[in-house]
Amino acid sequence: MNGEIIAFCCEHSAYAAADVVGKQGLHYPEKLRVIRVPCAGRVDIIHMLKALEEGAAAVLVLGCEDGLCQHLTGNVRAKERVKYSETLLTEVGIDGGRVGMFNLAANAPHKFIKIINEVNDRIKERERENDSR
Amino acid sequence: MPVRMGIFLCDCGGSLKNIDFPKVRENLENLEDIAFVDITHNLCLEEGEKAITSRILTENINRVVIAACSPEFRERNFGELLEKLRLNPGLLSLANIREQCSWAHEGDVTRKALELIMMAVGKARLLQPVERKEVAVNNEVLVVGGGFCGMKSSLELSQLGIRTTLVEREPTLGGKLKKLEGFYSSQIEAMIKAIEKAENIEILTSAEVTGVEGKIGDFKVRIRRGTKEILRSFGAIVFATGYKTEVAAGDFPLKPGVNIISQERLVQLLQAPTLEARPETIGFIFDLSDENPRFPTLATLNNALAVKQRWGSEVYVFCKNVKVDSEGVEKLYREAREDGVMFLKFDKNPKISADDGRVKIDAEDTLLGEEIVLTCDLVVAEEKLLPAEGTEGLSSLLKIRTDSQGFYQEENVHLYPVSSERKGIFFVGNCRGDLDLGRVLADISSVVAKVYELLPPGKVIVEAERVKADPQKCVACLTCIRVCPHRAVQLVQVDSEKVVAEISQLACDKCGICAAICPAKAIKFEGYSDDQILAQIEAIGVS
Amino acid sequence: MIVAERKPIEEILQMIAPYKKVLLAGCGTCVTICWTGGEKEVGILASQLRLARGKEGDKADTVEATVERQCEKEMVEELRDKVDGVEAVLSLACGAGIQTIAEVFEDKPVFPAVNTTFLGSPEGEGVWLENCGACGDCFLDRTGGICPMVRCAKGILNGPCGGTRKGGKCEIDPDKDCGWVLIYRRLEKQGRLDLMRKYYPPKNFRVVKRPGKMQAIKA
Repeated sequence: MNGEIIAFCCEHSAYAAADVVGKQGLHYPEKLRVIRVPCAGRVDIIHMLKALEEGAAAVLVLGCEDGLCQHLTGNVRAKERVKYSETLLTEVGIDGGRVGMFNLAANAPHKFIKIINEVNDRIKERERENDSR
Repeated sequence: MPVRMGIFLCDCGGSLKNIDFPKVRENLENLEDIAFVDITHNLCLEEGEKAITSRILTENINRVVIAACSPEFRERNFGELLEKLRLNPGLLSLANIREQCSWAHEGDVTRKALELIMMAVGKARLLQPVERKEVAVNNEVLVVGGGFCGMKSSLELSQLGIRTTLVEREPTLGGKLKKLEGFYSSQIEAMIKAIEKAENIEILTSAEVTGVEGKIGDFKVRIRRGTKEILRSFGAIVFATGYKTEVAAGDFPLKPGVNIISQERLVQLLQAPTLEARPETIGFIFDLSDENPRFPTLATLNNALAVKQRWGSEVYVFCKNVKVDSEGVEKLYREAREDGVMFLKFDKNPKISADDGRVKIDAEDTLLGEEIVLTCDLVVAEEKLLPAEGTEGLSSLLKIRTDSQGFYQEENVHLYPVSSERKGIFFVGNCRGDLDLGRVLADISSVVAKVYELLPPGKVIVEAERVKADPQKCVACLTCIRVCPHRAVQLVQVDSEKVVAEISQLACDKCGICAAICPAKAIKFEGYSDDQILAQIEAIGVS
Repeated sequence: MIVAERKPIEEILQMIAPYKKVLLAGCGTCVTICWTGGEKEVGILASQLRLARGKEGDKADTVEATVERQCEKEMVEELRDKVDGVEAVLSLACGAGIQTIAEVFEDKPVFPAVNTTFLGSPEGEGVWLENCGACGDCFLDRTGGICPMVRCAKGILNGPCGGTRKGGKCEIDPDKDCGWVLIYRRLEKQGRLDLMRKYYPPKNFRVVKRPGKMQAIKA
């Protein structure tokens, strides 16, 4: 990999939102690679860690808004796992900010774009910090 | 069997101009296990279907990758096509090169398109067929609660030819609305007659549900009737257990008693054959809290009219607003005013005090801008809508959730308002909160349609092993059983010693939470397994 | 069930620092059930180690394997091929499992990735509570099935100590339930409160000689 952003997108929320973004002709950074999952709750710690091992710049989990997960606890569990992954990374001196969980609904294409852009900005900032060292 | 893959690239009628399709094809053709890579123009149209059909019938492929528009539309269609062509739809892998690639970025996106397709190829290599099988299901339905909602649901189910058992804990059917005068009670009487006449509705009064095991298509229910306990089997369960009302006593400085009564008590008095002293002045109050006044509004209008007709008393209604957004309520409001009921609207909550055996209401009317002091013989107080007695017990019996007020919790308030989180268990009516008649009727039709869809007569086709717990690896730690939001996992005995988890394909909603959490990695979710996800990750950047 | 917890990562990294190729060995019984050392956790730890060592430009080569029960020599034997190919073994099993692996593969350094902490039962999702002290002289018959040696912070046998806080909480640790309140309530339910009036002499801790040894009936 070469600094891509991996986003695990729940098919009920983020994946649908990403489709709407395309349909509306809106854009986001090309380095995003979306992996479709049936629920954010399918995503586990090992997926995030392995994505980073492969060289991803950041790994995101995008799921439904609080209280709206069709499977009740999927988005909550995903958040816990992302938090734990952050701890595991920080423990070994890797920036925990390289994993993140975000919530949005299927009808929120602008939120999708905002999330990707914010993550991308943070990556670029980190690269600048690393370069200046 | 070695993998032999066929890849179809759709350029959406030639419109995806920022993807160099020939270059993509060139890169893919070099791979070992690829039988062919076709560039097509409209896979969604008949020409596309023909293109896929002719290739699949002539080439001996066992995996299909389609790079086109979003799988949200196409997954099902292409899957059905493959099935027609005797290829298991589980062997299909899709790449979204339109909405999430060509349309989402400026400039040339050939590299990303190729990567997305490589992700789909990596996943496809690991896909396994998922067989469908027929399962016999019990399509009898249990309706719990013999009030308006329970009866209406039973009647509609019965009309679709579905055998229904209606369980009611009181000795008679009818519920709360039977006790109300006028508007509703005649409907109720007619419904009771219709139910008694229906051949495929079994009525069990003075009966209560005491236990539920199993899952959709196969619920084993224990019903207690007097001293007898009956064990029955049902395919689905509909709860119409209703509500109860409580005077919102906290708002009143005076306790409910002889002069401050509930709507239910008023109805009792109205229906009593004799009345000691006819109240000359009656005040109704609601809107004191921020609760939704829909239910109190309806009850107040209905009963105010009844008071006028029966007793001819002076009737005053104190409220902030008369909410008429439910069906029939506007008409009731007009009738009430024509009959002489007076409506006084306040902004600040009125003061209520005792006055020599009567009740004094001191309110500021917003229209007049003046203070109005009224002494009533009887005040009918605001009521809270609460879940019926026994709701909490029933919900823990069935392991379904209740919301913060104790009403049954819908699976998703917007999308699935009548379903609980367990497939096959539904609720209708005020047992899930304050609803109006229009909504309730819509909900009933919705439940009936869902039941019919989930449990058609005869057999149901399910995917045999989309999500499966490997009995060899399962250590029966019970994690998946406890964690499944749809209660779709049970412990079963596989041989004389071992118990392992078994996922019901009918009840499973394919979220994958169990697959992620299993500490023994015993659960495989075909299509979204760890390997299949990892293959997609590994395919990124390799181009 | 035996409950164990993963060691701090710095400890683990230090243990395996001199070794390039390491086998992470999981166990499919107790440590799987308490989410510490099953196949899933082995995968996560291996990934974390690779990320840690990869950061320093030091490639870590990890092999992952989980056996059904690491305290059985025959099952551990299945790992022989994998063990032969590595320089050291990092075991996520309980102490019994770690020592079995170490005994079967005597020439390989074996390291513990977890601390074995107690015998317990699940209390809630992802939470396990100690309830047995393995004292070798079980007297749960007198305490309504609740062990005061473990559930009481002071481990007293003729409780309560008199310092119970409001709400039935322990004097020493307000987050813990007072073990003797629990025992009282249990015996009350069963109508056996008379047991609380009996005096029991101090425990004989020499009952279990270390290392404990149990000979089952010869069959």
